[in-house]
Amino acid sequence: MSNGLDLEQRYRRVLRLLPGYYRRAWEQDMVAAFLEGSLTGDPDEDEWVLEFSKPPWREVASVAGLAVRLYLGGSAAPRRYFAWGQAVRRAVLALTMLQAVRGLEVLLLTAWSRRLFSWLPVPPVRLAAGTPAGIFPPAVWWLVAYAWIVSFVALAFGRYYRTAQVIAALAIVPDLVWLLQGDFTRAFRGPSLGPWAFWVLLNLAPVLAMTAFRRDTPPAARWPWLLALAAAYLLVAVPLTALQTTGHSAWVPDTAGLYCVLAALACLAHVPRAWSRQAAGPGVWSLTLTLLAAEAGAYRVLSLTDYLHDPHQVQVSLAELLILVLAVTLVVPDAIRAQAATHAPPRPHAGYPR
Amino acid sequence: MTGQAFFVLTALADAPRHGYGIVREVADLSHGRVKLKIGSLYGVLDRLAAEELIEPDREEAHDGRLRRYYRLTRDGRRALAEEAELRAATARVVRSRLGLSGAEAAG
Repeated sequence: MSNGLDLEQRYRRVLRLLPGYYRRAWEQDMVAAFLEGSLTGDPDEDEWVLEFSKPPWREVASVAGLAVRLYLGGSAAPRRYFAWGQAVRRAVLALTMLQAVRGLEVLLLTAWSRRLFSWLPVPPVRLAAGTPAGIFPPAVWWLVAYAWIVSFVALAFGRYYRTAQVIAALAIVPDLVWLLQGDFTRAFRGPSLGPWAFWVLLNLAPVLAMTAFRRDTPPAARWPWLLALAAAYLLVAVPLTALQTTGHSAWVPDTAGLYCVLAALACLAHVPRAWSRQAAGPGVWSLTLTLLAAEAGAYRVLSLTDYLHDPHQVQVSLAELLILVLAVTLVVPDAIRAQAATHAPPRPHAGYPR
Repeated sequence: MTGQAFFVLTALADAPRHGYGIVREVADLSHGRVKLKIGSLYGVLDRLAAEELIEPDREEAHDGRLRRYYRLTRDGRRALAEEAELRAATARVVRSRLGLSGAEAAG
């Protein structure tokens, strides 16, 4: 089945995955190299190859990998792709940081419950760092929590990117096993998408997006991110723990709600900068916050299925969603400016053929 | 320097080569262990061109298509020499720690 296309046309279709500026520079060359590697020199065989064969999946995968690298550009990429790359990298750092905050919480609660802070009273039983039931012992869940701290620090230090990715990839495996086990044993009541949404959006997506960290990308601002971890622990985890300790658990939002509230607060805090004409930079933070808000919003919507039996919780969730949408709307114009195509051309390489 | 970039620069060390010529040369140099896919090759070429380690040499018509040849720049030659020295020094340390002589290691 040739579908009216020959091998060259099929390969050119694959190359459409690449950004336009890159295709203009390299497409002819790539097509020539690909066809040379595909043809044998035997006219009969080559005729058959040209008419019927398709680009091998490994070639397609290599083009897809190149496309991801180009769209999430490094320092030498055109401004639009650099902005996207930076926004994704910052969003990954923010999500990994929130996981690391949870890791810090587990670490400190465990230390507290083991009376390592002798000057503190005995912690309430309900604060003990609980772990999900299942095939894994509690030690595995503690390791998972600590692994996120290691992964975040590795990313923030601007090195060891692949180490950070591998550690995070290992850290999300127990959750996947727990989810599969829950599905098999029908532990989740009704059409509960929340746990899966959390795993896909807030575990798997950041791990995959860590690919955007490369040697040609600018390193993160190390100390501000590490300070942000400490600040997030003090400003988010500690107040939530205090609410639970003092018997005000009803005020503690669920995880999706917490992500919505945090994303909304971050957008509101960024509004003065996003609206300032003097603000330096092309609005990459606005783009980052828009991505984070999209993640939080998607998680909130999907996790609504957990509350179909609870109209009050559905109303609360919709209110959280509304607040998030209103807040993100304030920074979206700046985000659009950041990623809109600009007249800044790709940096011309030395002797780069055009 | 990544392994792929090292092989691509090495493939261009003795003569300018076009895209598929580099793929073939890298396969030969690595005894078939490194088979560059086209997407990977052009990712590497793009990076090396951005770092000004390679540059276009010439274009030639072949079977109705233009083949674009690339060559090392002076910086590329220097970077390759430094990387080769680094790798050779590492290999010497490995051989020494394993108690291998040069002949045994080669064999």
